[in-house]
Amino acid sequence: MIVKMSSEIPARNKMRICVVYLLFIFTICGSTNVDTVSSDIKIKNVDRIIDCSSQLVKTTSKITLENSGKAPIKSFLLAIENVLKDHISFLGVKDSHNKDLRLIETTVKGYDYIKFYRVELKDAINAGSSSILTAESVFTKALQPYPTAITQQEDQLVKFNGNLYFFSPYYVISQKTNVILNTKSVESFTKVKPFSQLDGTLIFGTYSNIGPFTEKELSVHFKNNSPFLTVTRVERLIEVSHWGNIAVEEKIEIEHTGAKLSGPFSRYHYQQDHHSGPASVRSYKTLLPASAADVYYRDTNGNISTSNMKVKKDSVELDLRPRYPLFGGWKTHYTLGYNVPSYEYVYHSGNEYLLKMRVIDHIVDDMQVDELVTKVILPEGVHNIKINFPYSITKLPDTLHYTYLDTQGRPVISFTKKNIVENHIQDFQLRYTFPTIIMLREPLIVVGSLYALFLCVIIYVRLDFSIHKPEHAHKD
Amino acid sequence: MPTTAAAKPVNGHNQGIFHNTTGFSTLITVTVLTLAWLAGFASRLFAVIRFESIIHEFDPWFNYRSTAYMVEHGFYNFLNWFDERAWYPLGRIVGGTVYPGLMLTSGTIHWLLHALNIPIHIRDICVFLAPVFSGLTAIATYLLTSELWSRGAGLFAACFIAIVPGYSSRSVAGSYDNEGIAIFALQFTYYLWLKSVKSGSVFWSICTALSYFYMVSAWGGYVFIINLIPLHVFVLLIMGRFSQRLFVSYTVFYIIGLVFSMQIPFVGFQPIRTSEHMAASGVFALLMVVGALKYLHSLNPKGEWKQLLVLGTLVAAGAVFLAVVALTYMGVIAPWSGRFYSLWDTGYAKIHIPIIASVSEHQPTTWSSFFFDLHVLVCTFPVGLWYCIKNINDERVFVALYAISAVYFAGVMVRLMLTLTPVVCVLSGIAFSIILELVLREDDPTQAPVETEESKNLYDKAGKVKKRAPEPVQTQDQGLGLYARPGTVIAFMILLMLFSVHCTWATSNAYSSPSIVLASYGNDGSRRILDDFREAYGWLSQNTAEDARIMSWWDYGYQIAGMGNRTTLVDNNTWNNSHIALVGKAMASNESAAYEIMSMLDVDYVLVIFGGAIGYSGDDINKFIWMVRIAEGEHPKDIHEADYFTERGEYRIDAEGSKTMLNCLMYKLSYYRYDSGGSPPGYDRTRNAMPGNRGFKLTYLEESYTTEHWLVRIYRVKKRDEFNRPRVPISKRTISTSNSISKKTSKRRKGLLKNKPTVVKGKKMRLE
Repeated sequence: MIVKMSSEIPARNKMRICVVYLLFIFTICGSTNVDTVSSDIKIKNVDRIIDCSSQLVKTTSKITLENSGKAPIKSFLLAIENVLKDHISFLGVKDSHNKDLRLIETTVKGYDYIKFYRVELKDAINAGSSSILTAESVFTKALQPYPTAITQQEDQLVKFNGNLYFFSPYYVISQKTNVILNTKSVESFTKVKPFSQLDGTLIFGTYSNIGPFTEKELSVHFKNNSPFLTVTRVERLIEVSHWGNIAVEEKIEIEHTGAKLSGPFSRYHYQQDHHSGPASVRSYKTLLPASAADVYYRDTNGNISTSNMKVKKDSVELDLRPRYPLFGGWKTHYTLGYNVPSYEYVYHSGNEYLLKMRVIDHIVDDMQVDELVTKVILPEGVHNIKINFPYSITKLPDTLHYTYLDTQGRPVISFTKKNIVENHIQDFQLRYTFPTIIMLREPLIVVGSLYALFLCVIIYVRLDFSIHKPEHAHKD
Repeated sequence: MPTTAAAKPVNGHNQGIFHNTTGFSTLITVTVLTLAWLAGFASRLFAVIRFESIIHEFDPWFNYRSTAYMVEHGFYNFLNWFDERAWYPLGRIVGGTVYPGLMLTSGTIHWLLHALNIPIHIRDICVFLAPVFSGLTAIATYLLTSELWSRGAGLFAACFIAIVPGYSSRSVAGSYDNEGIAIFALQFTYYLWLKSVKSGSVFWSICTALSYFYMVSAWGGYVFIINLIPLHVFVLLIMGRFSQRLFVSYTVFYIIGLVFSMQIPFVGFQPIRTSEHMAASGVFALLMVVGALKYLHSLNPKGEWKQLLVLGTLVAAGAVFLAVVALTYMGVIAPWSGRFYSLWDTGYAKIHIPIIASVSEHQPTTWSSFFFDLHVLVCTFPVGLWYCIKNINDERVFVALYAISAVYFAGVMVRLMLTLTPVVCVLSGIAFSIILELVLREDDPTQAPVETEESKNLYDKAGKVKKRAPEPVQTQDQGLGLYARPGTVIAFMILLMLFSVHCTWATSNAYSSPSIVLASYGNDGSRRILDDFREAYGWLSQNTAEDARIMSWWDYGYQIAGMGNRTTLVDNNTWNNSHIALVGKAMASNESAAYEIMSMLDVDYVLVIFGGAIGYSGDDINKFIWMVRIAEGEHPKDIHEADYFTERGEYRIDAEGSKTMLNCLMYKLSYYRYDSGGSPPGYDRTRNAMPGNRGFKLTYLEESYTTEHWLVRIYRVKKRDEFNRPRVPISKRTISTSNSISKKTSKRRKGLLKNKPTVVKGKKMRLE
């Protein structure tokens, strides 16, 4: 867990000390992030599944680690191959008890061009014994549409370039890779024996005795008509009110990043034949929290009248249809907003409050988000703000927001992150102090100003301000 | 309806148990006006409730866009705004070609609210501006009427104007247009004018001038004021009602109003340079002469000056008239504009300015629309007028002139119904007030003194309202029997009830459609929203190049700019007739001739409205004949209206339609690949016909987008290298491209190297 602090709000000594302390820890961590590849570790077996059926590439690797040395090992390294290095969005490792393990990005001398993560094991692996771990990673934009432009009637073909072998700094004794495509129409793929094709799945392996850092191109060219929707930017605004409501508003820009539409669009064909435009996106589903109410879906020109809402047991399902179907290269933008009751997300003891909300919420299934900016607007008079994030996030400078009856402004905590997928839907924790008495201020402002107004009217009516006595009505 | 219930006691209950009758009647006045405001506001919200808070129709979109611009960039930048998104390639200097009052009003409200930390979006302010101002109009009407007659009549008039369809047609929520605030300014200016004529005080005259200034900044209809007030003065002179009060109020108003009105950039020097404003200056000169002669007369009031006075006035009037005529001939004063001419000669526009005639709201009014817009008021307002003329004084001369001129203008143009409505409400208010007063009066002779006492005791603002005891009415009280009274009261209550029901119904059904969102109802009563316009504009704004130029008929110019945020060639500010004619010519020509025009105008996309699939009658094919007419006006050699009709003079799109019609661009763009729709595929539901030319291909354009219900169709104009080229096998294609193509594509966008001749086989070159 990485903790970062807001250092902008002045006059909070306690917090400042915390910040300094944490920054100190940070710098220490930063400087010591150099590891060496232990020769004691061997990988007995890797079962790798590469799921290419959506627009994301999700890999799940079951790794059997073996300690062939003498001392117990507490950590090991995961490496990301060069081909996919720039596409990685999420990496998580679980141990055999299905517990998340801590990951720290690191480097290894001599392999500067490779991205490494150090995985800290909860239970050390003793000499001679082995342990099974599951590494999960998600890559965005790893599937390239090829050809890059298609006509309305054509299917979308994409190409995946990866590594045929499990990329690891350790010696791998045996490994097997399943590539899930969910389609039988595969144009071409790398053929390194032994391999087989089964329904929508390509199976490579078993390959044995692959040395560390072995890269061999795995290329699959296949049909993929799943929605290629990239959320290019999300601005998520969370406005907390202590009167019992939290308003969430998301401004979303979305683009179809699959093969671009070339040539004309024909409404006739699109209407006559439902299979026309197979790669286009007519609608998609967004899941909101179960308690979401007062949902609105609009853009700069007003409501988007084509949407449906279904209230389910554990969520509110929105079937959003953009104003027009999205073909490759087409964009749209909209604002989605809703209210949730604050008791589900705000906890308190005395004047100390804790807000637990998602950094980002679900937008599309298998979503990929290029840029996220989340802003949390807290009530006026809140101080001592501390925030915890579930993963590394860039904090933006704090600002103030003025709305109804505000005098000193509401603190706004904002942060941003790039390259986000569904696995990043996790809670952040925001602690702050809020004296309850402040809640009375705004009603008092209203009452006070009305009182002053009536007083003025009363005084004006009772007193005569005219310079001279009014004459009698003018007679014509 | 609060009208009847609350207005009654003002007249009837004055001598009740309440000691403080003034306080009581003030309370009633305030309550009734507040309720009228609320009722007026609420009855204008149908569109918001049925659809959403959205700007309606066409012109409001421009007003909204410029308001948003002003709020974002500040007032001075707005005044200097050169809008390059309109009238490509000419552009438009917005600051100098709009009445900025509307934008300033909502901008000021926005600024004020934001200064108080109330974060209301400027769109919501724009949407709700007109309903809020309808309340202010009601108050201004109340003031005007109480100035003319009595406070009771004022309350009636205020309630009438709050809900009357003739006014709410222009001021429903979302119709963000000049008229919404202008009617308030109009009524208020008239109120202040009457006040100043009555009192002869410079203070009220200056207030009138200020209010007039606001009106000038808000609406072109200010010409109505600057002609009606001089007319009032002129008629008063003729009636021999010249007074110092009149002299002071008109001269002060005229000079200050003139100077103020010239501060509006769009008006500029017009008040001293155009015929429309000459009546005011003429009357000013005349008043000066009369004033001077009167002064001379007062020096020697013994008779021999009398003829001189009359003669002098006549000579002066003749001289002023001749001077204006002479100056007009010399070209110092611009003659009447075409729009003004068409007010006198209803056939004028049809012959000379088809672009004005093509707008439906410029057509002469039918009788039914008088009744539809005014209901019972249209019958009662002559009564009020009769009473005003019968008990004539300086102010009632004004309202009589107002009524007569407004009736005339409303008869000429549907749109000017709006100027008639307020005066009808005023006069009907007077009529109802008189009648109810007559009926409800108790046979108690002490009533009259109470009323006059009341007018002395008023101590707050309403106390300044001068009360006129309607004496003539009291003398006619004898003839009513015991049963006639309740009968009349009930009859009038029923009338008023019917009136309010009609008002609500008319506002709800006829005037509350945003027209950019259409709704249709299924057999089971379910509502289906046809959101094709916003679908298309949304598509344009997201999926075309930032500087793409869209050609469409001028009706959609403001919407494309406002919602699609793209450059248009022509829009609803129809200032350049030849540019519009060029677009009309492109639409009326065949594809290749149209392509020449389109490439001359750098058109990237063409947008047409096609209602054939859903039976929407306001589409481009139905408007097409106006495009042809306007194009013919400017290009009589190339376009002939007769070519678009069949030999029998019918306007048809089926197989019997004329050949020119079936091959023009508008036809092709409307029916290209149109094979869905009614029971035989390709059936046009709007015109109930099978298109005559089907299955054709387009050479110079390609379909870019068509909305779900085919309402809006957008085509991309192909570049010269994209069509009519011999097919080259792929192997050869790859060799030749590498350098030359990439060069071309990078520069093609800027439109600079377009003159560079591209060799296109079998095509003639551009005309340049």
